[in-house]
Order: sequence, then C-alpha cells, then structure tokens
Amino acid sequence: MNNLMKKKVSVLDLIRGNSVPLMFVLICAVFIPMSGFSGSYLLNEIMTRLGRNAFLILSLLIPIMAGMGLNFGMTLGAMAGQIGLILVADWQIWGIPGLVLAAIISIPISILLGLMCGVLLNRAKGREMITSYIISFFVNGVYMLVVLYMMGPIIPIAHGTLKLPRGYGIRNTVSLLPMRQTIDNALAVYVGGVKIPVLTLIIIALACLFIVWFRKTKLGQDMRAVGQDMDVARDAGINVERTRIISMVISTVFAGFGMIIYLQNLGNFPTYSAHTNVGMFCIAALLVGGASVEKASIGNVFLGVILFHTMFIVAPSAGTKITGDSMIGEYFRVFISYAVITIALVMYETKKRKSQSLMGQMLAQAQKDEEEGKTE
Amino acid sequence: MKGRRLIIRIAAVLLLIVIGFVMSIIGRGHTIYLDNRALDYNGQTYKAPYKVTIYVGDEQLTKLYDKERGSTTCLGQTFTVTLEVMETKNGAEETQTYKIPVPKNMDGVIINIPGYLAGLPEEAYLSEFVAAPSAETEDTTGGDDTSLPGEGDDLIPSDM
Amino acid sequence: MGKNVSTSLGNKTKFRQLIDDFGLPRVIITGFLLLLFISAPIVGADLPTQITNTINRFSWNAVLVLAMVPMIHSGCGLNFGLPLGIVSGLLGATLSIEFGFTGPMSFVMAILIATPFALLLGGGYGWLLNKIKGGEMMIATYVGFSAVSFMCMMWLLLPYHHPTMVWGFAGTGLRTVISLEGFYDQLLAKFLAIDLNGIGINLVIPTGSLLVFALLAVAMWAFLHTKTGTAMTAVGSNPAFAKAAGINVDKMRLISVIMSTWLGAVGILMYEQGFGFVQLYMGPFWMALPAVSAILIGGASVNKASIPNVIIGTFLFQGIVTMTPTVMNSAFHMDMSEVIRIIVSNGMILYALTRKTEGGR
Repeated sequence: MNNLMKKKVSVLDLIRGNSVPLMFVLICAVFIPMSGFSGSYLLNEIMTRLGRNAFLILSLLIPIMAGMGLNFGMTLGAMAGQIGLILVADWQIWGIPGLVLAAIISIPISILLGLMCGVLLNRAKGREMITSYIISFFVNGVYMLVVLYMMGPIIPIAHGTLKLPRGYGIRNTVSLLPMRQTIDNALAVYVGGVKIPVLTLIIIALACLFIVWFRKTKLGQDMRAVGQDMDVARDAGINVERTRIISMVISTVFAGFGMIIYLQNLGNFPTYSAHTNVGMFCIAALLVGGASVEKASIGNVFLGVILFHTMFIVAPSAGTKITGDSMIGEYFRVFISYAVITIALVMYETKKRKSQSLMGQMLAQAQKDEEEGKTE
Repeated sequence: MKGRRLIIRIAAVLLLIVIGFVMSIIGRGHTIYLDNRALDYNGQTYKAPYKVTIYVGDEQLTKLYDKERGSTTCLGQTFTVTLEVMETKNGAEETQTYKIPVPKNMDGVIINIPGYLAGLPEEAYLSEFVAAPSAETEDTTGGDDTSLPGEGDDLIPSDM
Repeated sequence: MGKNVSTSLGNKTKFRQLIDDFGLPRVIITGFLLLLFISAPIVGADLPTQITNTINRFSWNAVLVLAMVPMIHSGCGLNFGLPLGIVSGLLGATLSIEFGFTGPMSFVMAILIATPFALLLGGGYGWLLNKIKGGEMMIATYVGFSAVSFMCMMWLLLPYHHPTMVWGFAGTGLRTVISLEGFYDQLLAKFLAIDLNGIGINLVIPTGSLLVFALLAVAMWAFLHTKTGTAMTAVGSNPAFAKAAGINVDKMRLISVIMSTWLGAVGILMYEQGFGFVQLYMGPFWMALPAVSAILIGGASVNKASIPNVIIGTFLFQGIVTMTPTVMNSAFHMDMSEVIRIIVSNGMILYALTRKTEGGR
C-alpha cells in the first residue's frame, strides 16, 4: 500500500518538475501535424538549428552554476564575435581559417566585456539578471558607437563594400559568403536527406566535454560553492568576487565563439540586430529544456534546442492554418518565448522564497527544541 | 608558483597570436582572374593559345578562347590550377598542373596565361585587379541611412 | 550617500558633497543638456522650437514617469512591467473609438474604459509580485513583454469593426497605427495653450496637458501624505518595521501596483493625445525603459522617489532626446542621437542598479 502511494507522488512531482518541457512537447505535438511540414524537412531544420545554436546555449551553463542566474550578458560575447567577423571579412580571410581568426580576435574583446560585466554584477548582488539585461542594452549602444561610427574613420576598413553609402560605419548586413557554412560543410554527412554537420557537432561535443571537465576542477567546484551559498563559500576561503567574474568571462568568450558558429551557418548577418535577439531566444530555449535559473545541465541544452526550435518552426504555419492570419503564428512564438521565461523566473523566485521560509521555520523549530531541551 | 602561471599565460597568448597569424596567411582569400590574351613584354609578343581549358580542383572551370577571361577564388598563398592547352585549332592538347604563387596583399589577381606559360617573371604575367570605383560602392544597402538601426528593431525575428 | 570628506578646504568639501548627493551621472547629464541648449542657437537650430518640442514631449511622457513612483515607494522596485498599464490604456483607447465616441468624449471614455482593465491587470500583476518579493524587476520585465506579445495576437483576433481602426482590406484586425484625428488628437495640448507666436517667439506651451499632469502629480503627493500613503512608504523603506507596526505589507504593495498600472494607462493616453496616434502591437514593447531611466535621471533610486524626481527627470531625459539629434545634425551633419540615447538611458539604469543602497540588497 505504501509503495503505491510513494510512486504516485513521484510521478506527480516529475510532472511538476518538468512542466515547461512537457508543455512544449504538447504544443509541438499539436502543431506539427497542423503545420503541414514533412518529417524529413523538420529533421533537417532541427539538425541545422542544433548545430547553429547549441554552442551559444552551452555558454549559459557556467553562470547558472556560479549562481549568477540567466546570463543576459551573453549578448556581449555575441558582439565580440561579430566584431571579429567584421574585421576578418574586411581583411579577406576566408573559409575556416577566417573563422578561427575571428574567434581569436573575439577573445580579448570578450574577456574585456566579460570582466566589465562581472564587476558590475558584483556590485548588484541579488539583482544579477536585471543588471545583466540592462548591461546588454548599454553595451549594444557602445557597440553601435564603434561599428556605426568608428569603423571607417578610426578603425580602418579597407573595403567600401562593407561600409554604408555615406562612407563610414558598417552596412546593415555583412555578407559572410566566403565563409558560409564552411564549418558545417567540412565533414558533412547526408543521412536520408538530412544533412549532419559533423565538424560542427564535434566542436559542440568538445564544448560539452570542456564543461564536464571544468565542473570537476577546483575552479569549477569553487563556482558551484559560490552558486549555492556565497557566504558559506566566502567563509571557506573562496574569493567569491573573483570566481563570479571568471564565470562571466568564460561565458562571454564561449558566447563569442558560439556567435561565430551561428553566423557562419547563416551566411550573412544583420550587423545591428543579430545579437539582440540571440540572448532572449537562447535563454528561452534553455528554460524550455527544463533548466531553471539555478540549475542547468547539458541535457537541458539539447532538449531545449529541439523543443524550442520545433515550436519556432511549426508555430507560424500552424497559426495560419488555424486562424487564416499568417502573423498570428509569429506573434505566438514570440509570446511563448517570453511566457516561458516569465514562468521559469516566477517558479525560481517562489521556490527561493519557499526554501528561505522553510529554512526560517526549521531554524525557529531548532531554537524552540533547544530551549525546550534546556528547560527540561 | 605565480611566476609559472604568468609564463603559461604569456605562452598561451603567444600561441594564439601565432595561430592567428598563420590563419591570416592560409586563409587569405583571392579572386583570380585568368586571361587568355596575347602579352607584350620586353618587345616580345607571346601569342595566346587557341583554347585553354581550366580545371580547378577536379571540376572544369571554363574554356577560354582568345581574349577571354575566367575567374575563380582561391584560399592561401598558392593557386593550383590545371591547364589544358590547345595551341592551334584542332591541335594537340597539353595538360599540366601548375602551382602559381599569389602575393598576400592582393585581393584580386590577374594572371596572363600565355605570359605565365612562357616562363616570364612574375611582374610580367601577374597584376592586381582593381575594381572600377563605381563597382566598389554598391548601392544595394537600401534604407540603411534613413533609419539608423535602433533598439526597436527585429522584435519579431524572421529566423533564429 | 553623503560621504564625510574632511579636507582643509571647506569649499571643496561642500562642492564634492553636492556632487555626491546629486550623483555624478546626473551632473554629467545636466551639464550635457546645458551644453546642448547653449550650442543650439550657435549651430543654427531654432532654440524656441526646440524648447517647445521639449515641453511637448515632457507633457506626453510625464504621467508615464509618474507611474513609477508608487511602486518605488512600496519597495517593488522600478516598474519594468509598465506595458501592462499601457495595454490597459490601449484597450481603453481602442474600445472607446469602437463604441463610437468622438472628440473630447472619446478621451474621457478611454480613461473610464481603461480603468477596470487597469484594476484587473494591476491586481493580477500585484498578486504575482507579492509572491516573488525580491525578484520583482526581472519578472516585471517579462510579464510586460508577455503581455504585449499576447496582445499582439489579440489585436488581430478581437472583433473590432470600426473603419478607422481595422485594415481596410480584410475588415478585421486592428491596424498597427491608428490616427486620432477627430478623436482626441492634441485635445489637452490645445486646451488653454499659450501661444507665444503672437509676440514673435516661436514657442507654444501645451497648458492643458501640463495642467492634467500637475493635477495628477499633486494628487499623488497628497496621497503619499495620507495614512495609506505613509504606510506604503514605510513598507518600501523598512518592511520589517511596517509589519511590526501592523501594516498589511501585501495589501500596500498591491495598491501601489494597481495605482502604477492605472497611471500607466492614463500615461499612454496622454502620450497618444500629444503624439496623435495610437500605437498597437509592438509599440509599447520598449516603453518601460525610457520612463525608468527618466525617473532615475531625476534623482530617484530603486527604492526612493519623489515628485521633483519625476519633473526633473522627464525634463532632462526628453531634453536630451529632443535636442541631441537637431543640434548634432546642424553641427556635425551626423546623427548620433540614437546611440547617445541608448547609452545615456541604459547607463543611468545601470548606475542605479549597481549602487549599494543602505540596508543591503
């Protein structure tokens, strides 16, 4: 009798714990047949998007581990990667070597931005997420200052084709044609009509291995300690501030690489808006995969990419079929992305308060017991 | 111990710089223009063969008759090309693969085939391709300047 | 915030104290704005027109900035969820037109219709915020975004039929931008407007709008001095003390959120009457940020705000937004205004978020 009851509770807990991914599975299950896309088309699209986005989403894992919440500052890394790509495109370095060079250029920029972000977040403990959110806008302004005004006059750009007609500043779209899909195509394998970008997947696998290995290092353990409880970690002798900054730097550098992979897949990029949405949708995807603000695993990343992007693909066509209006589906997928983040944030905060009040209650209980123990 | 860490860091930075430099050389992209036209050099005229078939990699790029130009892209410092030369109409075809070194700082390179085949020095058969100024400033930017990109852009991304 | 800087030069201390109290960024911004004002006539921009524009934009935005005050007072932080209030206002505006009201009546009806929506949405929003004390700002942002994108779907689906509002082709689905000509375009602005063109100065003051703002500002100030108002302030500045004093913290926060949402609804209607258009769909998406940064520029912090903050902040912010493009264009033929606006407004919010406030958090 007892065993049966135990099992019942755990299934319910399982559902509640994974409510967001399950909801998405439901949405996809409903929308996929409605959208009218063929299985192989969907598989191909998902494979492509996986290769494109996974690295970016992986960069979000480390700050979560360090207790910094959802890193909206990944946009900073994206901008660093973009600057690298712009320079490399101008110097006419093509193919994979060009991408490697862009990655190398992005590293110092990412480190700088990550440092700044980390320092600012240390001054806003408890408000990391909204601060990193605003930082991403702020640095976007600085990025625009550099790319729209300084590139050309101050930072030499040799090719007029990259510049705006007025003579300075970079165009709205930068073509990456000579580098397009070079990583994807390098070791591509075609299985039943689905293109599998082997090299890209190898790179992603390496990133996963790095994260797994990193968790076991002393620095990684320090970060987890800081993430669980800053004061306890500080008492244990860990330099909390420095650890947090390092987590931001690593995340930003990763985001820079991820952005380069993302853009080489697209082939050209809208200079001024590529990075702005990246943060939002990667975070939404991670949350859809079952991650929370304080806990995220590699499994969440991959599950999230698959679920989120499937929804992303099928929602517009399904929406058109239901209501006859093509815009409904597009708005729907935007709405769902935001709603998912909202729900995850609410769940995180309510859990945090519950555990705090629980701890408070336990503390009160322990004190009461102690007192009663004394009087006896 | 701190000294050791510093050395490792400096080594890592140096390594990255070296890799970056290497990348910039092997990844340097060039657009190669191949001309099949007669070349005058040092008073001598080098005739253009009747037909030259150009193979890059394993694919045929194009067939060039007299005064024609073909173009392709190449990565790195050496341009490997296979030329199938037919000197006169219905004559014999000679096929040979050549590795032509390409200078690093040129974007577009013009190679004169007869000049190269005659074994002339590089300055004779190789010259830089400079696009006409009107071609440089493409006006396909449309709408760039009028509305400067701002925060409000792209709330509904078309692709992700 | 005042530091005890003891130097031998008494004057230096006082000056530095002044800067510290006022906040270095604010000094920079005020200086920048003064610079713009001074250089405007020099570079050929028409100063009175600029001032008119600034005052106009002030009148549109001031109520939206005022909406920040209740929630800052009650400790809910900066109201990034302002879009909820804006959405209520938009519902009021569109429904008022749909029901056939025109002219000044449409404005009054818009406010009346918006009110129940504001109460409802504000109530739900406030209930949510009470459950997540500490993480209000981030969640507020996303609640706002979700609401706007949800309404995007709704604007398409809801059965609106008024010909000025729907797409002519399909007959259903609201247009992105709806003109308010014939409704309440410039309604308050023209009311009792002081037109100095008669005496040769190209300056028009939208007295009506300013009066409405003044009315609401005075009402807010009065409210904050009532018993409920002081209770609300107590909840924000010292929740433990408030609880001990028997104040229902949750109820105060809820009231503040509802007030903020309602002011947001009125604020967007004020904005619309000045701007002349109703902007639907993604229009309200980013509207919280300018209001937040305006009040911060005016001297508020995450948990402290006053009416002068609203007035100064809106004026400075709108001044920069209006003057920078014109002056820069006339001077350098280069329009860096967008970039400057982004850096200034977000930098201000960043500054406020990274200040170590007394009492931790």
